[in-house]
Amino acid sequence: MALAVIAAGGVSAAASSAHARASVETPIPLVAAPDAASDMAQIEYDPLEGFNRGSYAFSMGLDRAVFRPVTHGYMAVTPTPVRHRVSAFVYNLGEPSTFLNDVLQGKPKRAGRTTARFAINSTVGVLGLFDVAAGMGIRSHDADFGQTFGRYGVKPGPYLYVPVLGPLNFRDGVGRVFDFFTDPIGLAGQGWTSPFGITRLVTQTIDTRANADLAFRALDQAVDPYATARSAYGQHREALIREATGAVQELPDFDDVPAATDPVAPPPETSTVPAESATPQPATSEPAAPAAPPEPQ
Amino acid sequence: MTNAHPTRRFAQLALVALVGLGVMTQAAPALAQGQREPQAEQFVQTRAQRVISVLADKNQSVAQKKATFHQGIDELADVPRITNFVLGKYARTITPDQRTRFAAAFRVYAESVYQNRISDYHGETLKVTGSTVRKPGDVIVNTTISGGQLGQPVQVSWRVLGGGTAWKVVDVQFKGVWLAITQQQDFVSTIDNAGGNVDVLISQLQRDAQRPASR
Repeated sequence: MALAVIAAGGVSAAASSAHARASVETPIPLVAAPDAASDMAQIEYDPLEGFNRGSYAFSMGLDRAVFRPVTHGYMAVTPTPVRHRVSAFVYNLGEPSTFLNDVLQGKPKRAGRTTARFAINSTVGVLGLFDVAAGMGIRSHDADFGQTFGRYGVKPGPYLYVPVLGPLNFRDGVGRVFDFFTDPIGLAGQGWTSPFGITRLVTQTIDTRANADLAFRALDQAVDPYATARSAYGQHREALIREATGAVQELPDFDDVPAATDPVAPPPETSTVPAESATPQPATSEPAAPAAPPEPQ
Repeated sequence: MTNAHPTRRFAQLALVALVGLGVMTQAAPALAQGQREPQAEQFVQTRAQRVISVLADKNQSVAQKKATFHQGIDELADVPRITNFVLGKYARTITPDQRTRFAAAFRVYAESVYQNRISDYHGETLKVTGSTVRKPGDVIVNTTISGGQLGQPVQVSWRVLGGGTAWKVVDVQFKGVWLAITQQQDFVSTIDNAGGNVDVLISQLQRDAQRPASR
């Protein structure tokens, strides 16, 4: 039950508990299990699977050779509270970008909360080291260009595993490029090649990888880690987009006979993002998280 | 002239009342679908917290924890239903013999994953924050888990099926990811790539269960 750990994030025993035991002696339902429903088909839309699997294998090899040892070294020499401070610091630097997308999504309340968080945490919270705002009830939320596109109806399009960068789909890949070039902190810090930019990129990379460590461990225990990462990423992203649209998730009935006989995912509508921006970029503001949905804090 | 005001006021009142009624009748069906289910909430609060507490209990040996956890899981989760669900479309074509072997292998596999993670739990507490009735007998219970080594509280949702006081968890969601759904896609992909042969999945589960924790 590898996924248990992705979900658990090391946390909820609960998570693994839901699945953790299959009982042999209990009578088994004779109806077929439904294939996870229609919006799942969209997540599973993977016409580039051949390339993606190769890219996934390459990225995981690179992770084992470079990112994992570095991250585990970092985790070995820093106590958990210190890593939480680093995560908070990195996260705070992302708030202006969140604000930008809150505004683009037409969500003044969320934009206001983001502004308040950035103002409070950057000052009282000592440059973002402490999330004082959350203590005051102003909780964080994420926003990025992929979500903004989704907010206006853009579908995810084909799944894409970009070497080193990790799981994406066309919509969120384009979104990632936009994120990179519009990030106010990145622009203020004179791009990622400046000393500040490089420091931030490295810190963020290690922090993201450390936060995703349990997810990586979980993937190791999946039977098909590639398919597991694809599913988890897609669900995670669609949940973020539902957060912006207010849509309610359609779930499969848990034990009805599925209507469809063949489970091959029908190609969903492809994304309609501008074509000129569709080039994957070598570096983004959230690099090197080849597996699970990385979530600062 | 003097009558005009009361009349107008009455008209306004009537309008407000009408609109109000309209809003209420509109709201009523929405409420029916989104209403809470206190008994399902109570079930998750008690049972899920118990499982979490067992894992964090420093006074119990690992063996004791496993045993208590094992029992807690049977009380908490609808294991046969989940076992069926994770097979996806192959739940229809699997032979009874394969089904028996799969159920056994899945159980052992899941158990071994959990055993490798026993040290990850440190006294987290679970608090139910609400629930949504999808349809009668199918409820999403929302919880917040905090404490332990968590930097921030995390939101975890539980899909519970049942009725009255008898409920069972069939899926758990964290950061948008449903575990059983993801597990289903993992397994179905594996069987697909084996040309539809469920035995390949079963033997891989058996092999993985014997593998020690990777790190």
